Amino acid sequence: MLHSYLTQIRMNLLLTLRNRVALFFSYIFPLIFFGVSSMGGGGGNSLQVLNIVLGLGVLGGGLFGVGIRAVQDREQNILRRFKVAPIGPGEIIVSGMVTALALQIPNIIFMVVLAHSFLGAPWPTQPFSLLIFVCLGLLAFASLGGIIAALVNSMQEGMLLTQLFYFPLLFLGGITFPITGFPAWLQTVAQFIPSTYFSSGLQPILRGKETVLDNLPAAGALALTGLLGTFLAAKLFRWEKEDKLRPSAKLWLLAVLGPFIVLGAWQMHAKTNIAKAKVLGRDVQRSRVALIHDARLFLGDGTVIDQGSVLIKDGKIAEIYTGAAPDAKTLRADSIEAAGKTLLPGLIDVNMRLSLPGIPISESEYFQNLDQNIDRELAAYLFSGVTAVKSVGDPQQMVLKHQATIASGERLGAEVFADVSPSTKVVDGNTYEPMLAAGEALQAYVEGKTDLLDRSLVQQVVPRKWFAQVKDSLASAQSQREALRARSIRSDVAQQKLAAAYRAGVMLVAGSGGGTPMVVHGPGIHHELQLWVQTGIPPAAALQGATFNAARLLRADQRIGLIRKGYEASLLLVDGNPLQDISATERISTVFFKGERVNRADIFEQK
Amino acid sequence: MQTVIHVAGLHKAYGDFEAVRGIDFDVAEGEVFGLLGPNGAGKTTTVEILEGLRPRTQGDVKVLGFDPEISKRDLKNHIGVCLQATNLPDKLRVHEALDWFAAFYSQRADRNKLLQRLQLWEKRNEFYSQLSGGQKQRVALALALVNDPNLVFLDEPTTGLDPQVRLEIHTLIEELKAANRTVLLTTHYIEEAERLCDRVAIIDQGKIVALGSPRELQERIFGQSRIEVVTAQPMFGELPTFEAVAKQALSDDFKTLVVHSTRPARTLPDLIKWIDQKGFELEDIHLKRPTLEDVFIELTGKKLRD
Repeated sequence: MLHSYLTQIRMNLLLTLRNRVALFFSYIFPLIFFGVSSMGGGGGNSLQVLNIVLGLGVLGGGLFGVGIRAVQDREQNILRRFKVAPIGPGEIIVSGMVTALALQIPNIIFMVVLAHSFLGAPWPTQPFSLLIFVCLGLLAFASLGGIIAALVNSMQEGMLLTQLFYFPLLFLGGITFPITGFPAWLQTVAQFIPSTYFSSGLQPILRGKETVLDNLPAAGALALTGLLGTFLAAKLFRWEKEDKLRPSAKLWLLAVLGPFIVLGAWQMHAKTNIAKAKVLGRDVQRSRVALIHDARLFLGDGTVIDQGSVLIKDGKIAEIYTGAAPDAKTLRADSIEAAGKTLLPGLIDVNMRLSLPGIPISESEYFQNLDQNIDRELAAYLFSGVTAVKSVGDPQQMVLKHQATIASGERLGAEVFADVSPSTKVVDGNTYEPMLAAGEALQAYVEGKTDLLDRSLVQQVVPRKWFAQVKDSLASAQSQREALRARSIRSDVAQQKLAAAYRAGVMLVAGSGGGTPMVVHGPGIHHELQLWVQTGIPPAAALQGATFNAARLLRADQRIGLIRKGYEASLLLVDGNPLQDISATERISTVFFKGERVNRADIFEQK
Repeated sequence: MQTVIHVAGLHKAYGDFEAVRGIDFDVAEGEVFGLLGPNGAGKTTTVEILEGLRPRTQGDVKVLGFDPEISKRDLKNHIGVCLQATNLPDKLRVHEALDWFAAFYSQRADRNKLLQRLQLWEKRNEFYSQLSGGQKQRVALALALVNDPNLVFLDEPTTGLDPQVRLEIHTLIEELKAANRTVLLTTHYIEEAERLCDRVAIIDQGKIVALGSPRELQERIFGQSRIEVVTAQPMFGELPTFEAVAKQALSDDFKTLVVHSTRPARTLPDLIKWIDQKGFELEDIHLKRPTLEDVFIELTGKKLRD
């Protein structure tokens, strides 16, 4: 029995190795794909290329390997010869599956080696998880192919039906590009497709972020489909074209997809896999390689490089070049031209409140959709080049929730630091946080002035409809505003204190007080810096207060707040030179967040 | 002698269509048994039931003591089968094909001897696609013998082959017979059945219409020789009644007389004597013994080959 299995597998392998077409598609094709993707330049990540090649290999090798081979053998009357020998359909199907595995696994190792040696991809840190997951995927797709083979009557029909499965599995399953680009309904449809679960497991396993155990439902569904499919493929197996097939047999194909129909139905409610897909899509964006070249660099600690370039890789600053920039192509990086621009560390706002609108509007409306409004505020920060914020005075639960969705990458927004110590303007004897913008805004609010809302960046981030409510809100809040009048701080006093602190060498830290009426989340910090410079603080010192000093205050200065090798690639590229004209920080060219080039145009339209 | 195949009251229906309608026969050990019949007569269905490839609707079947429907795998393990129109993968070498199939069976013939016996030794390292039609058929026969079976089913083993190869295959079947192997042969070639088969069953429309040795069939079913005489003058006048003659008929121009006789050695002198007496001039004379084909046409009204 075992002997006949082994012989069957050995002969299958031998025949495949003698088949030039099969060899071409398994071994030469990926080589060409690697060649093309490594020549094409651009900052596409090597792991992403590997991910696509592996996905193609597993899907193609699985679907086409066992099934089409069986149809071909049947059409050429080869199976007829086996029919009279003491061997059953089960042995033929199972050894076909094992052959597909035995052929694809060296192939997959080959591709990993190729990606490593030609594209510089790291070795997989979870090789066993990768192996197991790839095997499960192969089995599931191979069993689908086996059933298709049993259902069709000719090679043409077989190719057609297999392709009818192949292309949706390939394109809708997120193997070639992330499903997060799809409209919402199509994302839901994708949750019924086996390859969606395969790709959403393969990618993080390949990146070493997850193991098979983190993908148990997906692995389980693939295994179940593999087993069910193998059983049914053996059950429906046809030695000859003349063997009759019951019309109901086509329904079995649906039965095999049963585990995924169940998963899909569950996902329609849970949506965890769509969230995961967003994270995976984010990972792809964050892992791109980019060279921002020929910019003026403000490193965060006051150092300025007049002409320099920064290489971003895997979400980190990989290299800083002084003087003439290296060639982006040879670095396999996207080239970002930055001549005449200034690159700063992403700004940090150490004092803001998420659960306040920052603009006088109807409170009931604001609190009704609080979570969405907070998402928008964090997006507004990132839009404004602020890559980290510290929440002050928000409910802790709420902060943690939004912190998590940003941290996972599910949503795009500024990184949130929770308030660990009670808010004080003076954190310790050596730190001073003047909050000029908040003081000025409160004054304006009390007086009913709205000119702070006319600023360009404010107009860009606040929803249009809110501006219409400002007048009425101010009127209805008349008494509250009067009550605040007594508490308002005179700005000349605040400015004097700031000047004194600067002279005394105290560490200055920028906090906008975002959320305060007339301090909009994001633009507020830019205005704060402008107010500092008006007080006489040199622009470099002001910028340091919103970058390196702020990171020190947040005790995060080992990873953000500086342009330094190994630091997170959360950066702000602005037109002009804010060291001469501080308002240049508002003329934002590009924002980078953890290596991702933020698509500012769509940031308020996140699905 | 032991019974190797036993078939009694075999029926097979596909929906409303009855392909086999009550077939009975036994095949003894060492016998070469032929199944003759026109296309669609039910021979392939019968053979496939015996080989364990198809379930039957009704009837008793025992092959090598196994019920083919129940002990499919055991049966397949002990028989050798050469089906029509089977193929092997193009890039398979001859000796690999033999080893591959041998792996499925519990007992194996000596591969090299088999290759030599089938004159494939020189071709053992060739790819299947490089072989001629006759060589492919010899490979198919070799595969039917890889398990050194006691019972071999050969389905039209020589169809479409040139006379030389056909002769070689006939020799092989004779060798099998000499080695006391049982062979069940279906064929279109009457000469093949006449030459090789100990017994022949003629099947038509799902039933056996005749069963016996080729000679028995020739004699029992249509045991007369056909004598044909042609004269220069019309044979006017009353024909005498010859001894041992079943049927006689004169052509329309009275010049050709056809006589069917059970004892041609007796009838022929009588006939010539009569022609002499009448003073007719004898122009031509034929004596023809009936062939299995005549039997076949007589029984089924069909030709075997069109």
